[in-house]
Amino acid sequence: MEIKKGIAVSPGIAIAKAMVINSQDYRIPRRAILPSQLDVELKRVRNAFASAISELKELEKSKSISESNIKDIFAVHMRFLRDRSLRKKICDLVKKDLIVAEYAVSVTLREIASHFASIKDAYISERATDIYDIEKRLLKQLIDSSNQDVEHITEECIVVANDLSPTQTASFDRRFVKGFATNTGGRTSHTAIVARSLGIPAVVALEDVSSVTDVGATVIIDGNRGVVIINPDEETLAQYEIYYEDFARLEHELDSLRELPAKTRDGVEISLLGNIEFPEEADIILDKGGYGVGLYRTEFLYLQSKSEPSEEDHYEAYLKVVEKLKSKPVIIRTMDLGADKVVHDNHFQVEDNPVLGLRSIRYCLQHMLLFKTQLRAILRVSAISNVKIMFPLISNLQELLQAKMILRDVMEDLDEYSVPYNPDIEIGIMVETPSAALTASMLARECDFFSIGTNDLIQYTLAVDRANERVATLYSANDPAVLRLLRNIVYDASKAKIALSVCGEMASEPENVLLLIGMGVRTLSIAPAMIPEVKKVIRSVTVQHCNNLARQALSMNSKRQVSNFLRDAAIKILPEAF
Amino acid sequence: MRPAMLFVDVASRFRSDIKVSNGDTEVDGKSIMQMTMLAATVGAKLKITADGVDAEEALEALRELVEVRQFDES
Amino acid sequence: MKLIDLVCEKAVITKLGSNDRDSVIRELVDALDRAKVFSGSAEDIAKAVIKRENEASTGIGKGVAIPHVKSEQVKSPVVAIGLSEVGIDFSALDNQLVYSTILLISPNDNPDTHLLAMEVIFKNLQKDDFRSFLKQAKTVEAIMDLVKEADDDIV
Repeated sequence: MEIKKGIAVSPGIAIAKAMVINSQDYRIPRRAILPSQLDVELKRVRNAFASAISELKELEKSKSISESNIKDIFAVHMRFLRDRSLRKKICDLVKKDLIVAEYAVSVTLREIASHFASIKDAYISERATDIYDIEKRLLKQLIDSSNQDVEHITEECIVVANDLSPTQTASFDRRFVKGFATNTGGRTSHTAIVARSLGIPAVVALEDVSSVTDVGATVIIDGNRGVVIINPDEETLAQYEIYYEDFARLEHELDSLRELPAKTRDGVEISLLGNIEFPEEADIILDKGGYGVGLYRTEFLYLQSKSEPSEEDHYEAYLKVVEKLKSKPVIIRTMDLGADKVVHDNHFQVEDNPVLGLRSIRYCLQHMLLFKTQLRAILRVSAISNVKIMFPLISNLQELLQAKMILRDVMEDLDEYSVPYNPDIEIGIMVETPSAALTASMLARECDFFSIGTNDLIQYTLAVDRANERVATLYSANDPAVLRLLRNIVYDASKAKIALSVCGEMASEPENVLLLIGMGVRTLSIAPAMIPEVKKVIRSVTVQHCNNLARQALSMNSKRQVSNFLRDAAIKILPEAF
Repeated sequence: MRPAMLFVDVASRFRSDIKVSNGDTEVDGKSIMQMTMLAATVGAKLKITADGVDAEEALEALRELVEVRQFDES
Repeated sequence: MKLIDLVCEKAVITKLGSNDRDSVIRELVDALDRAKVFSGSAEDIAKAVIKRENEASTGIGKGVAIPHVKSEQVKSPVVAIGLSEVGIDFSALDNQLVYSTILLISPNDNPDTHLLAMEVIFKNLQKDDFRSFLKQAKTVEAIMDLVKEADDDIV
């Protein structure tokens, strides 16, 4: 049994077998296999050789490989890959030590390489590089194939990895993934957000969990305490099975709030919407008693497939959601990726600072056809539903005006072909940059609603990378700077009489729910799984009390003071939420 | 690497088992891994043995590669 | 797509004679007409641009407007540029006067080329230098040079 402590990022208990994902640039751990898995592992070795050979053949065919010394290198690689005794050596090692194929490949080839390197003849010792290349070729095949296995999971498992990319999380079959444990990450990293929105327990920042966990080992994820237990003993396992039951019961109790309104004790209704990443999550919103979709992230469309999504891909994904939601509102956010994440962009230039680079709406305004495809699909869906469109990362008025102008041009194209759409579709923006927050009064005149994206707003305002553990403590929704910007946005929105919601993480934290209500926010868009809990908070407070809290919080001059104050207040109202 | 590669290529054309020895170690003449591990440098003495239906042709072809053509690929 | 391929040199006006929005649009459309880019009536085009402008201003702020319309009278997108010293009221959304007007007429049977033309115009307009050099340009040559430099990413 091994117990590891990390950061709890999504609550709940999960107990299942481990599915370990390697990444190529990561050290290959000596991970054991069960004797029953031996045949599978040996087959993986053979398949890796076979696919490495066919990959090499393809490479040899390509024209750029006409240079003779590269040809020679490839010829050497090919002979090694076809060498039966090399394959046998690796297979023997897998059998003898019961270890994963990756490790056996790595050990065997490194042994050969170091033998070469030790020989005095310079020509031969330099050949060690070739052997490392062959190692890389084989590992690539093994890792690619195990990553593909993850896409085809057919039984319940806990995903253990160094880190999970948006592409990987997008490809999981969510019926089977019961929990996440990763080496890196923080509260607002991608894995954390996805886990919370799916209601899957997750613990991150576990340092080396992916190398100490064996494939198929039993793993317990305690997303409440930030603990991961590998190969638990019987006693621990039994204890956690009880926790699991208790937690499920508590969830069930919260579910009983489903039909009740999200109304404060003094009768003020708060709209609770859900943030979703995948169409399937719309069901969770309805299940949990949410009023609509406050943020439909559309990045998965761009990450899931290797080619740019077509208008029909977009349309179908949106249709799935609006069909479930019927006449309820669905806010679709246009593509919010950095240029580095748009895989099908052949002209991509590396940026020193992608977070401040060509991303999101900026990218769309420079890739008009990609933008058009998405706008057309949203407009088409608007004909039959209550969808609204939201532009992310607006940082000045010009961007909003340009985006609106293009939307209008796309509407004209639809007119031309008599394609129906809602010409009065509501247009909103994410307020998530300090510049947008400071010019909210100007922006408010040009749109129908604001949605405050607190995650980015905090990161840009406080200049803190929320995923960087070394500065993560500087990241806080309660920083006086953040509170002042929030107050400004709420004021400008209400003065311009436009709708306003908050769709960042903070909107689902009980103490900050009190703060936001006190600042005048009446719509919160949160992870669907959090809806019952937040509803419970809302039903336990009065607006008047929240107003007092917000006023006092705004007069304080440190984030710690604000956090402690709000936390104390929240504990008094709702002790069980903490 | 190149001589080993040529040797393995020639050896692999035959059905016979082909062994190569440098005195201390004997390796499979059809395995590039084992042949390169043998790490024969220029001037090293090698003993080649073949066992099988086409053993004689095999030895002849390998002798030609090593002694006559001296690993020249033409 | 490059901006230089869109701009009609004969329709680059460094000192617009008109001072109100509709006359400026007419002046630029007439210049394109004199350059013989239309297959039919220039007045129809001017009317269509003005009608569209009445529906939603294309003054996108920072002293720039991009009036545009699609028409069967052109085979490929074409751009006219007009500079005004006094500034024109385009009912721009930031309430500022417009000093640089970029008129775009796109073919109506190919919506993608229109969007690509908008893309290349946006791309250059978001550069502060491009906007300020454009506003200060005194001669047609200076404007054409600027457009070329912008395409080559020098500006």
